[in-house]
Amino acid sequence: MTQIDHKKILAERMSARFGRRAVLKGIGAGILAATAGGSFPNVARAQQSGHLKIASVKVIDTLDPHFTGFLSAIQIINNIHNGLLKITYDGEQVAFEPDLAETWDLEDEVTHVFKLREGVMFHDGTPCDAEAVKFSLLRVKEGEPASPHAWKLALLDEIEVVDPLTVKLTFTQPYAFLPVALNGSTGRAGTIVSPAAVQKYGADYGRNPVGTGPFKFVSWRENDAIELEANTEYFEPGLPKLEKVTFVLMREASTALAALMSGQIHGMTDCPMQLVDQVDAFPNATLYGEIEGNYTYLGMNCKRAPFDDINLRRAVAWALNRDTLVKQAYFGRAQQAYTPISPPMTGYFDPDIANSGRGQWFDMDKARAFRAKAANQGEVEVTYMMAERGPVGTRIAQTVAPMLAEIGIKAKLELIEPAAWVQRRNSGDFDLYDFEWVADLDPEETLYPEWKSDGSWNFCGWVNTDFDDLCAQAGTELDVAARAALYHRAEDLLMDEAPCAMMAHMPIYKVFANEVKGFNYIPADLVNLHTVSLG
Amino acid sequence: MLRQAFGKIGQTLVVLFIVSFASFGLLKLAPGDPIQIMLGSEYSPQAYAALSAELGLDQPFWTQYADWALNFVRGDWGTSYVARTDIFTYGFLEALPVTLTLASFSLAFAILIGVPLGVLSAVRKDTIFDAGAAVFALTGTAFPSFLLGILLIWFFGVKLGLFPVMGYVSPWQDFWGGIYHMILPALTLSTYFIAMITRLTRATLVEVLAQPYIAAARARGEPGWRVIWVHGVRNIALPLVTILGLQLGTLLQGTVLTETVFNLPGIGQMLTSAVLGREYGVVQAGVMMTATLFIVVNLLVDLSYPILDPRLRDRK
Repeated sequence: MTQIDHKKILAERMSARFGRRAVLKGIGAGILAATAGGSFPNVARAQQSGHLKIASVKVIDTLDPHFTGFLSAIQIINNIHNGLLKITYDGEQVAFEPDLAETWDLEDEVTHVFKLREGVMFHDGTPCDAEAVKFSLLRVKEGEPASPHAWKLALLDEIEVVDPLTVKLTFTQPYAFLPVALNGSTGRAGTIVSPAAVQKYGADYGRNPVGTGPFKFVSWRENDAIELEANTEYFEPGLPKLEKVTFVLMREASTALAALMSGQIHGMTDCPMQLVDQVDAFPNATLYGEIEGNYTYLGMNCKRAPFDDINLRRAVAWALNRDTLVKQAYFGRAQQAYTPISPPMTGYFDPDIANSGRGQWFDMDKARAFRAKAANQGEVEVTYMMAERGPVGTRIAQTVAPMLAEIGIKAKLELIEPAAWVQRRNSGDFDLYDFEWVADLDPEETLYPEWKSDGSWNFCGWVNTDFDDLCAQAGTELDVAARAALYHRAEDLLMDEAPCAMMAHMPIYKVFANEVKGFNYIPADLVNLHTVSLG
Repeated sequence: MLRQAFGKIGQTLVVLFIVSFASFGLLKLAPGDPIQIMLGSEYSPQAYAALSAELGLDQPFWTQYADWALNFVRGDWGTSYVARTDIFTYGFLEALPVTLTLASFSLAFAILIGVPLGVLSAVRKDTIFDAGAAVFALTGTAFPSFLLGILLIWFFGVKLGLFPVMGYVSPWQDFWGGIYHMILPALTLSTYFIAMITRLTRATLVEVLAQPYIAAARARGEPGWRVIWVHGVRNIALPLVTILGLQLGTLLQGTVLTETVFNLPGIGQMLTSAVLGREYGVVQAGVMMTATLFIVVNLLVDLSYPILDPRLRDRK
């Protein structure tokens, strides 16, 4: 039997910086504790100043981390709550570090022990202890009503409160996805909420969120603004730096940009690609953004003619000119995607994928060869449903249609309203559509739920049990290299049978006025404001 | 008189019932499912079924409508699905005042600019000024308000930095701040009406000025300003009030775009997001409020006729 070195795996997962930062934080906390015991109980309060106003241009559904489906909501939730783990980024690597946990240990390959920070309080004054952690995890796993993130904790077998600050989680099998599932950001399942507040507000918790985060929730006025104020008792010493934060809820991004340029607001949580050139040309603001963990694809309905024909699908996959797509549809700012696994997935993404021979790319000869093998040799007429949604609206469909004409596929572009589009996508009533899966940091969440046979997100209806087996196996494999190999094999099956034609990995932009200092960019569409100040 | 009033109220109720039923039915007929929108892409069939039962969306159409209508009449407007806010607070107490402020400012602009412009055109009929005003009116009627809004934002907000480009400040709490924030949106929304009122005023006044009593007034030696502003302009009131009542629908329609462009949290924004999110209860509340507003204003227009024109008063 091979022994797995859990400590080594853990060390690999946490970034090398962690050790040094933890020491620095420890010193800081010591100083603060010493002062707090003296005659200046409000020493932290004095440091907070400034009122940051930023536009949030996308829909925000709820501020309940366990129920939201929108990244725009997570951007705000993350400033109010913490997770057991958090995501960090040093400009090169994405890593997962303990957040509310002080330490994270693996007792064996299915048992994780988290030691919590001492003295952390929720904004309502109740303690954030092991019981609170257990409460939150159970709320996600088996709460009523069911959380949409419950699947992330499906393998969680037992939660044991060892002592008030220690919690032990036992899983039914090794769970490689755990760092993502348990972080307070894109995972959402590991975000810790105040049990007292959940009991008090019930289903209205999403309008009255109470966490441990750097900012406290103040108010939410519909179509107007969400206001936060500094949590002076926040556990990271010296943070947050701002006194107040207002997320101005706006629907019209061009108005938001005008407000930024005229100095009415300090930033935008999301800068649509069509406005990026204007921001670039504006000297008083800085653009933050890189290629994030996402991929866009052209989906083909495998359940009905004509795309139940694998050769026709392959023809499409090789017929898309990705250069043109990146230039025309993505304003030249995206990067060609060969496979779903994207650049921030350190250890899984192959930086040299263009020369690896894996994946899909533009090759008209190959496309024609597959087209010649397709059952229907006449002109194929298909419906391409599109909506004014997603990062670039209908630009993709308009760019793709002439490319399909090259291989004898006549795509009828059908523009429908977003709600109708979602309904038709979910019920499989389409031939072609384009879509994007975003803010993924692990291959599991980028591949498995999206493409597993009969999965609820597998809108194309692709079925391949080998793919399912490979992903399931990779889910329990803790060694990164071995796990990456399994996912690459799974991806190869997906790319070869082509229920989807890969298009691009997109950059996601945020913009802040130059007077906004200290923003730490993380390539998971996060807007963490605890380190931000107004200069 | 009393019977007439009861008749009007009865009519109003019937109209409101038809409007509410039509909007409810149309929204239900439209494809799209609030639960799929609420749950985003990540949900299980169990979560779907649970939410749909919780919100009562698994009930048949008639039950849903009857439930809504009974509760609405009793004053319980319900809770929005996503935001979980009380629809009465959200719609009536928060959004309606914003839209009413915007609409009143726009109307005020339209009258204060449109009437003088129309009068001057009529008085200086067939001069350069008249032609200029005609060009302005034609452009104003033809210009889409959302484009005008964006142009105003860029010119007055970004280039000159004179006015705020977005946001709402209640004039009841901060009067000057409220006006300051309302100038660009109200100007955007009122352009169409300024143009319309200019044309209407000019046309009416040109006709009036040819009447014998105007000649008589001039002959009596009354000063020119008095002839025009007292004897002449008085005649504009009736057509003006009529057209404003009828065009209120257009004005309310315009608030949707204007509120979106200037980010004002009014009924227009509320309705747009509610329709896109298939928030049936919120859409109903918005439709009922605007329908009631429309009916009430037109009722007031009817009642104002005898006041504005003595010939229409009951003779005892």
